[in-house]
Amino acid sequence: MAKYDIVVVGAGNSGLSAALQSQIAGKKTLLIEQHNLPGGAATSFVRGRFEIEPSLHELCDFGPAENPGDVRNLLDSYGVKVNWCECPDCFRIITEGSDGKLLDATMPAGIENFIDAMEKEVPGSRPKMEELFELFDEVLRGIAYISASAGKADSKVLQADYPNMLRTGAYSTQKVFDALKLPKKCQDILATYWSYLGVDLEHLAFIHYAAMVHKYVSRGAYIPAHTSHELSTAMVERFRELGGDVWFNCRAEEFLFDGDRLCGIKTNMGHIECDYVLANINPDIIYGKMIPKELVPEREKKLSAARDRKMGGRMFTAYFCCDKSAEELGIKDYSIFLSGHADSAQEYKDLLGGIKTNDYSIFLCYNIANPGFSPEGTCVCSFTTFGSPVDWNDLPQEEYFQFKNQFAKKFLKSLKDKAGIELEGHIEEMAVATPWTFARYLNAPEGAVYGYETTDWDGMMARLQMLATDYPIKGLRPIGAAGPRGDGYSAAMLTGQLMARLAIKDLSEEGGNK
Amino acid sequence: MALNVKVGLIGKFDMLKFKNMKKVREQAIQAAPAKEISGDFAININAKNLHPDCMELVIDQIIDHGSANAKSFVFKRADGKPFPYFRAGQYLSLKLPIGDSFVTRSYSLCSSPKWALDGRAAITIRSNPGGYAADILLETLKVGDKVISSDPQGFFYYEDLRDKKTVVGLAGGSGITPFLSMAYAIRDGIEDFELILLYGSRDEANILFKKELDEIAAACPKFKVIHVLSDEKKEGYENGFITAELIKKYAPEEYSVYLCGPEAMYKFLKPEIAKLGLPERLFRRKMIDVTKTVWECENYPIDAKDKVFDMTVKQGAAEYKIKCAANEPILVALERAAIKAPSRCRSGECGWCRSKLISGNVFVPKENELRRWADIAYGYIHPCSSFALSDIVLEVPGEYY
Repeated sequence: MAKYDIVVVGAGNSGLSAALQSQIAGKKTLLIEQHNLPGGAATSFVRGRFEIEPSLHELCDFGPAENPGDVRNLLDSYGVKVNWCECPDCFRIITEGSDGKLLDATMPAGIENFIDAMEKEVPGSRPKMEELFELFDEVLRGIAYISASAGKADSKVLQADYPNMLRTGAYSTQKVFDALKLPKKCQDILATYWSYLGVDLEHLAFIHYAAMVHKYVSRGAYIPAHTSHELSTAMVERFRELGGDVWFNCRAEEFLFDGDRLCGIKTNMGHIECDYVLANINPDIIYGKMIPKELVPEREKKLSAARDRKMGGRMFTAYFCCDKSAEELGIKDYSIFLSGHADSAQEYKDLLGGIKTNDYSIFLCYNIANPGFSPEGTCVCSFTTFGSPVDWNDLPQEEYFQFKNQFAKKFLKSLKDKAGIELEGHIEEMAVATPWTFARYLNAPEGAVYGYETTDWDGMMARLQMLATDYPIKGLRPIGAAGPRGDGYSAAMLTGQLMARLAIKDLSEEGGNK
Repeated sequence: MALNVKVGLIGKFDMLKFKNMKKVREQAIQAAPAKEISGDFAININAKNLHPDCMELVIDQIIDHGSANAKSFVFKRADGKPFPYFRAGQYLSLKLPIGDSFVTRSYSLCSSPKWALDGRAAITIRSNPGGYAADILLETLKVGDKVISSDPQGFFYYEDLRDKKTVVGLAGGSGITPFLSMAYAIRDGIEDFELILLYGSRDEANILFKKELDEIAAACPKFKVIHVLSDEKKEGYENGFITAELIKKYAPEEYSVYLCGPEAMYKFLKPEIAKLGLPERLFRRKMIDVTKTVWECENYPIDAKDKVFDMTVKQGAAEYKIKCAANEPILVALERAAIKAPSRCRSGECGWCRSKLISGNVFVPKENELRRWADIAYGYIHPCSSFALSDIVLEVPGEYY
């Protein structure tokens, strides 16, 4: 039987990172993946002469070499090399503002540029925006301090050095915006990023929002030159180079226990013996289907019930490969947020209401950030929104194909009406991925790539402070978007690294006790 | 002035609130009932029903097509589950037991998607003297036999956001099957486009599904079939081969062209299609098996042609040493050695057989080069459409059947 120190189950962003961390730390590591290629959502697919990026819009917290973010540092520390392209602006937003008027603003990257652009959109907003970014900065430094102190943050230091973080951190983003007396239009524009976390601003902790927006604005955003399959393949190959083993099309069916301690995995490729598993699998699936019922702790049952299957980001994406260049089609922006209105709470409700009320999509044209993304004279675009169980729970199979195209047509019309860009008549290849598609390839509950909503009581900061109680099974840790840092490529990678470190610590403590 | 943001009324209270995040979360958890956790979600169940990892199918009925030298096989799922709904034009990839091993063969679904709703689907196999699998299967498969199948696959189907309202279908021989499914789908109101089908056969006796096609055309004004006979001149039929001229004779002003037929037909039609001056988006062809004469490909190093190489195959913890002939796809060597490695389309398109080339060199015909950029850069190959040029070490994924 195959025997490893650590087996990482699931080669998504979190699993790839965990596998690299574990192998680098000298553990004999096996990475297994149920699909025949790595990445989970960080992958690509080929249609005709196009290779299509299925999920990544902007990699957060990467940054330029001279101002590296955590993710650049992480990939550098692993020795992973990828060709990167910088995304030109933060975003363009076209929506109905809180004042009922059309809001059409393009926001550049870089803090000064961003504040300058805001001043143009909202004259007089500069002092408030500077205050906001100062607060963002404090929050970011505060989080770094808390993370570095590994659960033993000194409250005196916190009070002395990060008082504003303490005073704002536990509130919702909306409450902090109001307390800062940010002009409403600034709030409308700043709200744009909410969907990247999948929680509206009334339920999203300010600390989480601040950390993300600050990173995007200060460091810009990046995408791999050859889709995120380049990123995940580069990670797999580096892992192999370091001596790690990878088995594709290998699905963990059950975790095996010796008493209450994990000792192996049953897979379609046979049993694997191991000391520890880092499972890039949603905890509801692990506890509900993969371990003996009697080993599921009471607290995990309560945690699952408290979360009540409120999943974030059930993805819906339509991809269009066009036989005209972006320039010929009049596309100038990398990303355009097309939404019904700027109020994120209302918008989120409308999304969850299904196709009848959903008027939200993010339009992307990859060639704007990367002119060589597709063959000369062509471009690749996508629309992304969130699906709702209302639409996808009970849809009969025979209505599936028409229904998903109805959504796609809605997007195309919205792009035409709001931005004057018409793709129809130039579509050479297309594909539509629904929550069913994401569920199919990732096995994520409801096709939700964001894990559980990082909302109210279950926010990032609260999760990060409870690492000691949230992982009760000996020899097993779930990783991925349901983890402490929530969703997104960067969050998943950082969670993978953190969990691998904690697993190694667990193993050495157990070893010491033997 | 130093930044001093207050959200609540009293600053001190806020700090407590921050410190209490842990407590608040634990309270929310403890307040919930300790219910058994269910790992089942409706969306995931739907996804699995539409795209099972694999299916065991039972042959429910066999229809002999007499002088057309073919048989249709009507399947049901062995576990009684509904057949996954599909797009007319898609195919099944079957794992067929021949001798000690399984070989993969893909067959277009030829039944109406409507049949799937009561659990049935059909494919058609035509005799292919000199071929490896078809004739054995035609002789041996009988009602009640079980075969393993993929879910419906492929992208050879109508897309109203891309295609024109009329499709001119070009079919040759057994390439009729996806078009038959499309014609049924149009008749049954599942697909909404007009299909003008130019169908090439050797002679009248050789026309596959003549009766079915004529019946659909009689019942459905959106479907029309024109038979083109290469070896027979007869009233009511076009004679010769399908050409640009013939397409123009029957096509309306605006149309898409769909092609499915044997390799020779693709070669013949390439310059003919070019004459139509269609943009690439309006021409689609069903991907067919990789060439059987790789040595005729452009840039093929002819010295390799008759060589036999050593291949080491790794799959999980297992390792196999086998032989690999240069003139056959690497997948065939895996099948001959009875290694259960993944494969589906045999054309390079689906990527299901994607494997890591640890060492060695391969040749990939230009038309089958459909790999991802990073796969080419990092040495991943599709064994179904790669040919060994040296000794090889290959790491293949697992399988689910």
